[in-house]
Amino acid sequence: MSKTIITVDDAATMRKMISFTLKGAGHEVLEAADGVEALKTLQTRAVDMVITDVNMPNMDGLTLTRSLRALPQFARTPIVLLTTESAPEKKAEGKAAGATGWIVKPFQQDQLLAVVAKVLGP
Amino acid sequence: MPTNEELQKQLIQDLLVESNEGLDRFDREMLALEKGQATPDTPNIIFRVIHTIKGTAGCLGLSKIESVAHVGENLLSLLREGKVTVTPPLISTLLAYADALRAMLSSLRDEGNEGSEDYSALLKQLQDLQAASSATSTETIPAPQAAAPVAAPAALPQGWGLFDDEPAPATPAATPVLSEAVAPAPVIERAPVVAPVTAHAPTGTPATSHPPGEGGARATSAADTAIRVNVEQLDKLMNLVGELVLARNQIVQHSALIQDNSLIAASQRLNIITTELQESVMKTRMQPIGNVWAKFPRIVRDVAGELGKKVQLVMEGNETELDRTIIEAIKDPLTHIIRNAIDHGIETPEVRRGGGKPDEGLLILRAFHEGGQVNIEIMDDGRGINISRVKEKALQRALITADQSARMSDREAFNLIFLPGFSTAEKVTNLSGRGVGMDVVKTNIEKIGGSVDLLSEANAGTTIKIKIPLTLAIIPALIVTSGRERFAIPQVSLLELVRLEAEQARKGIEKLYGAPVYRLRGQLLPLVYLNKELELGGASSTGGAVDEAVNIVVLQADGRQFGMVVDEINDTEEIVVKPLGKQLKGLACFAGATIMGDGRVALILDVVGLAQHAQVIREVRDRSMTEKHKGDARASERQTLLLFDVGEGAQMAIPLSMVARLEEFPRSQIERSGAHEVVQYRGQILPLVRVSDYVRTVAETSASGTDLMQVVVYSEQGRSIGLVVGSINDIVEEAVTVKRDSAHDGILGSAVIQNRVTDLLDVAAVIRSADPSFYSSSRTPVGLAA
Amino acid sequence: MNDSKQFCTFFIDGLFFGVEVLKVQEVIRYQQMTAVPLASRTIEGLINLRGQIVTAIDLRRRLDLPPRGEEQLPMNVVVRSDDGAVSLLVDEIGDVVEIHDDVRERPPETLRGVARELVTGVYKLKERLLLILDTEKTVNLAA
Repeated sequence: MSKTIITVDDAATMRKMISFTLKGAGHEVLEAADGVEALKTLQTRAVDMVITDVNMPNMDGLTLTRSLRALPQFARTPIVLLTTESAPEKKAEGKAAGATGWIVKPFQQDQLLAVVAKVLGP
Repeated sequence: MPTNEELQKQLIQDLLVESNEGLDRFDREMLALEKGQATPDTPNIIFRVIHTIKGTAGCLGLSKIESVAHVGENLLSLLREGKVTVTPPLISTLLAYADALRAMLSSLRDEGNEGSEDYSALLKQLQDLQAASSATSTETIPAPQAAAPVAAPAALPQGWGLFDDEPAPATPAATPVLSEAVAPAPVIERAPVVAPVTAHAPTGTPATSHPPGEGGARATSAADTAIRVNVEQLDKLMNLVGELVLARNQIVQHSALIQDNSLIAASQRLNIITTELQESVMKTRMQPIGNVWAKFPRIVRDVAGELGKKVQLVMEGNETELDRTIIEAIKDPLTHIIRNAIDHGIETPEVRRGGGKPDEGLLILRAFHEGGQVNIEIMDDGRGINISRVKEKALQRALITADQSARMSDREAFNLIFLPGFSTAEKVTNLSGRGVGMDVVKTNIEKIGGSVDLLSEANAGTTIKIKIPLTLAIIPALIVTSGRERFAIPQVSLLELVRLEAEQARKGIEKLYGAPVYRLRGQLLPLVYLNKELELGGASSTGGAVDEAVNIVVLQADGRQFGMVVDEINDTEEIVVKPLGKQLKGLACFAGATIMGDGRVALILDVVGLAQHAQVIREVRDRSMTEKHKGDARASERQTLLLFDVGEGAQMAIPLSMVARLEEFPRSQIERSGAHEVVQYRGQILPLVRVSDYVRTVAETSASGTDLMQVVVYSEQGRSIGLVVGSINDIVEEAVTVKRDSAHDGILGSAVIQNRVTDLLDVAAVIRSADPSFYSSSRTPVGLAA
Repeated sequence: MNDSKQFCTFFIDGLFFGVEVLKVQEVIRYQQMTAVPLASRTIEGLINLRGQIVTAIDLRRRLDLPPRGEEQLPMNVVVRSDDGAVSLLVDEIGDVVEIHDDVRERPPETLRGVARELVTGVYKLKERLLLILDTEKTVNLAA
């Protein structure tokens, strides 16, 4: 089943890479450069999953996660954080914000696909 | 879709661009940091640049860049947390570090690999700086081991995970949300204050583990959604939109000629989008007037303090928006008006107390939008303008003659203060006596297409009303043709369009002392022939015999209406106003130029300048003065009156609505029919009545020097009668309160008009006594409408 | 380094004029013009130069020379001035010439009227005299 996924990252290269990987797996992908842009896009578009960087200008990934969780239509949408930090306290922050899971950067394409498969089902 | 290899190449290209841009930014922010010009966001920006490079490089398998980036990231993370002191060595090291990253990126671009340069010395420096700061701080010994490259990511078995894997591996977010739904009640009972959050968070309720709305509120706050844009950039954008509007006009014009449906549809769409774009761009340049006003409280405080006055400043309509170019243009005039109001308007507390006013004077600034214009009013409750003193001053400075002074209406007198070189200040204070007078205020406001009006009442205060356009750049305009040239008339000055067919024109256009007028719904409209004023010498008449239709554009300038006769009325268009070169700045008739749909230039008429050139508004006449007089108007009603002299020194008036025409006849044309004097007029016999015979006055003298006789033609029920008068003086619109004290026939009463005692002629009575049969068929009484 | 300057040259009523190349924005052929009523007769009209409105000054009138023949279309030498671009209407365009300062002379005494104010120098070339116009003064009609 094709799903719609939004990738939020201030690095255009990163977005392109994620987008390419996910499109290759048959998904539709939306892009946003930061939390604010993501929220704007998500006002009009429904998605099955959010993959967001943590450290971004304007609005970071944790704030984006909290903002989405505050909206009823995103209460259950899977949100996966892209993080360079695997320290336990950083993970706890993500969890407290309401994220569903995390991926440590850098990652391989198959790691990304594995998370998506696990979250969205086959 | 590209293959993986192609993608990799593409992504590396992207990475190069992105990273180099980032590193430039890194340098700039670093320098700002060094100069102490950093913003709170500077450390974040610096950190993020490196963070992004590291993350992207890692994903692309560029392990050397990644590991070098990683070392710097650790140090920058401490910098961000304020745990590293900014020192010159730190800055230098970090700049060298940025150069190292650049070198690797160049190598990647040129050689296809990250290069063989050894950066261990630099990395050691970074680590030392980091260790130095760690020694002083209690926390953090994060990643010296990360300097050993590559391995880190691979060391993690999976590199990802789900937070809920341990308790519930299935639908990750759903479960906690459901449990949340049933949980609240007991929790609230037990721990009403802080417990809910702390109790929930560890057990994993992602949905509401923080107060809802917090994130949402941040998301929409202005700080997060607004960006700063260079004003020059906006101006450029505005210019481009201006060009687009012109191109759009051309396309729309052409597509109308070519009968192609899809082209027409596309051009219509282009039309709509352009308009929307134009509006949006215009909005980006809008600023609230409050931006200018913000400095006024301080000015009022200072000026009042210096003069020993007490002033309360009230500002209404701060949020009223204006184009920034206009905001700029009104800044100084407004400041001057405010200084003036405090200096000349508001009295000292002692004087105010003596006049039964509160010690504190009131100064009100009001701004609001109305009819596509912005209105700004500055009101004070001071002493008002002393008319006789203003006149005296104007006389002293030879700005007016004694005769003008005597005839001047209040409003005309008020407007004297706008004359160049006028100042009513008895002693020149250092505040307003600096050579910048109200004339400069008026000129500056008129320069941007605005107008200034002044109302004042002795001891009650003064109000200055300013009307200015919302924007200067793009305006709606009516395009007309005259003498084969096209001209644009700004829509704000336009009242209506009148077209007279040849026959109508011959009858409708009259001459009043050689000046053509047209009666528009009872009001005499002075006519200005554009081709004559501009010396175009075009085909159409200059007001004489006409055998073709006449197009009249009814305009308003400075509160006065006039009709402009043009050859052709074309269309209404949005035009882009472009300034004229300095060689043409002296031409008051033009406000600028614009480029038309066909690419040719058309001049934009300056309606006020043109009216002055045509001498239609030599003096400012009274039109809106009565607004102020609403209170004392009670019984009176505004009327347009024809003023004339019968004998020397006796001015009389009749309502203009009773006047059919104004004519001049040579005395030699008078014939007698029985007891009556008559003239032949339009194939009929026009009985004449000499007004001087019927009202108590000196004999008719004024016109005796000439052979011409002034006749006011009065018509009713198809019958006409000519009232012979001495001279016709003027037409005014005035609120007249009739004093019914004159007991004699033929006079309804008297009033003061233009500072002259004026008798109101009882036309019906005069006619009745001259020709009792005139009303035999109709008993309609004629008189003033009071 | 020898002092030499480049001039854009043109002809007006048989006279040979030049303005500094650096002052010249472009040279374009005759453009349709919009006359400006009531303006000085020196101003021939307004042209649309790629969306910019440029005032065209007739140099014949500016220099008190007899009017151009009806059939002769002038060329536009668009110069930069403090106030933006202004077009100078000339009869015919000449070459761009590079001239050393040592052939420069003061304007001849015989130069009359306006020309005397506007001509800043004269260069003696082989075949003819080149009169150099001061562009700022030329476009400043108020003075």
